[in-house]
Amino acid sequence: MDSSPKPNSPDEPKLRDHVYDGIQEYDQKLPNWWLFTLYITIIWFIGHWVCYYQLGFGTSDTDAMDKVVAEMQAARDKQMESIDDKQLWEMSRDPAVVAAGKATFMTPGMCVTCHGTELNAMLAGAKLPGLPLDDQQWKYGGTPTEIFKIVRKGSPDITKGMAAWEGVLGMKRVSEVVAFVLSHHHEGEPITRAPDSPPVGGAATSAVK
Amino acid sequence: MTSTSATKVPIEFNDKVVRQFMLASIIFGVVAMLAGVFIASQLNFHQLNLAEWLTFGRLRPLHTNAAIFAFVGNMMFAGVYYSTQRLCKCRMGNDTLSAIHFWGWQAIIVAAAITLPLGLSRGKEYAELIWPINVAVALIWVVFAVNFFLTLHKRNEPSLYVALWFYISTIITVAMLYIVNHLSIPTSWTHSYGIFAGVQDGLVQWWYGHNAVAFFLTTPILGIMYYFLPKAAERPVYSYRLSIVHFWSLVFLYIWAGPHHLLNTALPKWLQMLGMFFSLMLWAPSWGGMLNGLLTLRGAWDKLRTDPVIKFFIAAVTFYGMSTFEGPLLSIRAVNSLSHYSDWTIGHVHSGALGWNGFMAAGLFYWLAPRLWNTKLYSVSLANFHFWIGTFGILLYVVAMWISGIMQGLMLNQVTPDGLALKNTFLDTLQAIRPLMGLRVIGGAMFLVGWIVMCINLWKTIRSGKPTNEVREIAVLQRGTVDTMGMKETFINDPLTYTIGGLLLVFGWIFLPPGADITSLICAIIFGFMAVRRFQQTSKTWAFWYEKLLHNYLPFTVLTFVAVVIGGLIQIIPTVTVNSAKNVEDRIQKLYEPLELAGRDIYVSEGCYNCHSQMIRTLVPDVMRYGDYSRLGESIYDHPFQWGSKRTGPDLAREGGVRPDSWHYEHMMDPRSMSPQSNMPPYAHLKDKAFDQKALPKKIAVLRQLGVPYPPMDATEIKMKALEQGVKIAEELKKSNIQIRPDCELVAIIAYLQKLGQFEQPAVEDALKAKGQGIPFPLSPVIPDKSRSAAILK
Repeated sequence: MDSSPKPNSPDEPKLRDHVYDGIQEYDQKLPNWWLFTLYITIIWFIGHWVCYYQLGFGTSDTDAMDKVVAEMQAARDKQMESIDDKQLWEMSRDPAVVAAGKATFMTPGMCVTCHGTELNAMLAGAKLPGLPLDDQQWKYGGTPTEIFKIVRKGSPDITKGMAAWEGVLGMKRVSEVVAFVLSHHHEGEPITRAPDSPPVGGAATSAVK
Repeated sequence: MTSTSATKVPIEFNDKVVRQFMLASIIFGVVAMLAGVFIASQLNFHQLNLAEWLTFGRLRPLHTNAAIFAFVGNMMFAGVYYSTQRLCKCRMGNDTLSAIHFWGWQAIIVAAAITLPLGLSRGKEYAELIWPINVAVALIWVVFAVNFFLTLHKRNEPSLYVALWFYISTIITVAMLYIVNHLSIPTSWTHSYGIFAGVQDGLVQWWYGHNAVAFFLTTPILGIMYYFLPKAAERPVYSYRLSIVHFWSLVFLYIWAGPHHLLNTALPKWLQMLGMFFSLMLWAPSWGGMLNGLLTLRGAWDKLRTDPVIKFFIAAVTFYGMSTFEGPLLSIRAVNSLSHYSDWTIGHVHSGALGWNGFMAAGLFYWLAPRLWNTKLYSVSLANFHFWIGTFGILLYVVAMWISGIMQGLMLNQVTPDGLALKNTFLDTLQAIRPLMGLRVIGGAMFLVGWIVMCINLWKTIRSGKPTNEVREIAVLQRGTVDTMGMKETFINDPLTYTIGGLLLVFGWIFLPPGADITSLICAIIFGFMAVRRFQQTSKTWAFWYEKLLHNYLPFTVLTFVAVVIGGLIQIIPTVTVNSAKNVEDRIQKLYEPLELAGRDIYVSEGCYNCHSQMIRTLVPDVMRYGDYSRLGESIYDHPFQWGSKRTGPDLAREGGVRPDSWHYEHMMDPRSMSPQSNMPPYAHLKDKAFDQKALPKKIAVLRQLGVPYPPMDATEIKMKALEQGVKIAEELKKSNIQIRPDCELVAIIAYLQKLGQFEQPAVEDALKAKGQGIPFPLSPVIPDKSRSAAILK
């Protein structure tokens, strides 16, 4: 091995003595930009870690998430407060709102999947998983706010019934969908409860009611 | 230094085994790519899920395992066997071992190709093979290792060339990763439960999975590059020093990067941070390999025009550079929040697998075939055609996946103006990426066409020649001049002292309690400067020590093992000791009832995890779409964990109870009846098959052994419980006019799906009691997350 260092000739790469099956190797300096890349990532690591763990900057992921979720819930509740039966009936008479609700309802994979295009929970004679929405029997209560709550939160026991749609659709589209469903009904029509309805006044009924 | 005696002997290399491995790789390359094109087509045309054993969920593991172990595996062995013999100037250690290695490996591949479509799977990516095959893989790998080290032992070349360093690291690291990730307890000849569960299983799996990429698809191929590229280019390697620095930094850092597959999940944050930053630090070492490859061609760029071998090598190294830049980028938590679970990742791995591995393989085979059969390449223009159609194929593939991944990611994140609702359903986003998935099929098919053209070209080449084993006059190395380094010389020296001392201080910074940690960091930095100063003064001693190390294969292997083992120990041990069920404070998963467990095993065996994750990340869009973010304790009893790595369908972590049983029934029978335009395969065949009742008692016994707190139950009790629950579901379904036998697999899987996301909140006292145990420091390190929250509360 050539042991004499040649600091003055950096342009001329030095060839190492040893030959491996005809393969030779230069012995040249590492490219500076390459070393710089390595150093900068190491410094970034140390700096970031010190800031987060030792200096306590930044919020943890779960704390940040919890805060966002709480804010969203508060905003949803606020939207909810402003809606009552009367407003929902009014919306059901607004063709633009009903059309928007219908569009959501009929989107493949949404309400139509279980309740059918005719809202009778039937598809070509076969029973779909949902309950019919075109009759006057309402398992979980048939006032607009009750329907609204079911669409938002799902049925009280969602293993046996409807999913919660608030997170997916948001309050605006939930209200449009309810308006669309209500457009198949009249204000003041008789509402009956199903034989297997949960008892009235239970936790399931709406707080507004 | 080259002290060889004058005696020269003729040595015939074992080139037969090289030819065998090469042909196997070429053939399995076709199989792997064909499977890839087929399953990619299934994503657009669900009708192609022709039979239960041809569903996407079962064939995707076949594709990945074939590509990794059959195609690249055989290619790696061909390259390793060819170059090791020449670099050691001796025949492979033992011909019988070589033959056992070859035939054993092919038998494993055949076994895999039979079992995977049958739905026999461990349910962990690239580790799907069932336990008897795992044992065979480990044994054959040991045969390979023995054969390889025997060759090193009897070598006639005193010094180890850089290619051999990479082979050494490959052999020992793959052995370590494979064995640890496959530790399991059998419940039958075809089924077992891994010993890790939940987060531990996730961590071990991606420690393995990521480093399968590192030490199966990267380091051996780098070794092959270091031998065959300078050979083909007839130029010296660009820099020996770069080889040293990039080799050691690569093998040390790579092992730590596994957690970047679990970013923004329930994985403790300190592990996520380590995963992310070690991935970033890995960028330079990876590019060191690329530079040494590309710059070796300096002064020989003209060959790029004429020699197809060089074309393939240079393109491969360029793709290597591209994907090792993309990797660190995708490991940044913010980028990953968009890219993860999407096609971007798929594009990334294929730029590595097709661009880097596929083209290295092609270059290698075009170079080897004329030499192994003593003839000339049949057609250079066909090879050029292969090159161009392959290159355009990959580019089309990768670009389509980039667009698809980013587009789907952005669409999934879109919200309404008030920020309270999502804009797109999952199905909307699937429809949007369909054309891109189509382009991907075309890109992949182009690559396959190129590969088939190569097959024809090489077939013609082989036909024109005759199998030839190279014979060389070789000067026999005098024993006693090499392999003399003792323990003391290996471990007690400046380079090692400074490295290990520095590392200990860095670990002190990570794991010591507040106050001591920052002190340790400052010491580490001072120590680092001392090391640099010392190196400047005595660099010649350091260089001399390393030269000597290269003359001693065992000490070299031991040090390589030390370098690769550290990362795993630091990440996995604290997770196993600290994150056990009793220490998880807020939520504990509810135990699976027997029927649900049977359903879960069906979920695993059908490969549902290939498309569905069970991990809601701590990200707003994830929480809005799928519900509350997943906690550590919610999968603590899952053997294996099913967090998933790709969402071709939606996340299922909180699927339980969201929809009625009848919805699931209809959806499994025909997914499109409930989710129009879905691309999920139908699972109607589950309706006709009874679930395996007999296996349940044994399965539950094994889970109890692994620490899942099932109450003692006898076999009848377990079967009765399962049937009772099945009857309940069948009765529920009857209300929707669905007739189903209560003991069928479909009922079991519905039971499982309805269970997903159920948890208990353990009493605070229990949690506190469990925490009170005082294990001394090294065994119970101060987890950075804990010390941080404690410090902040103060």
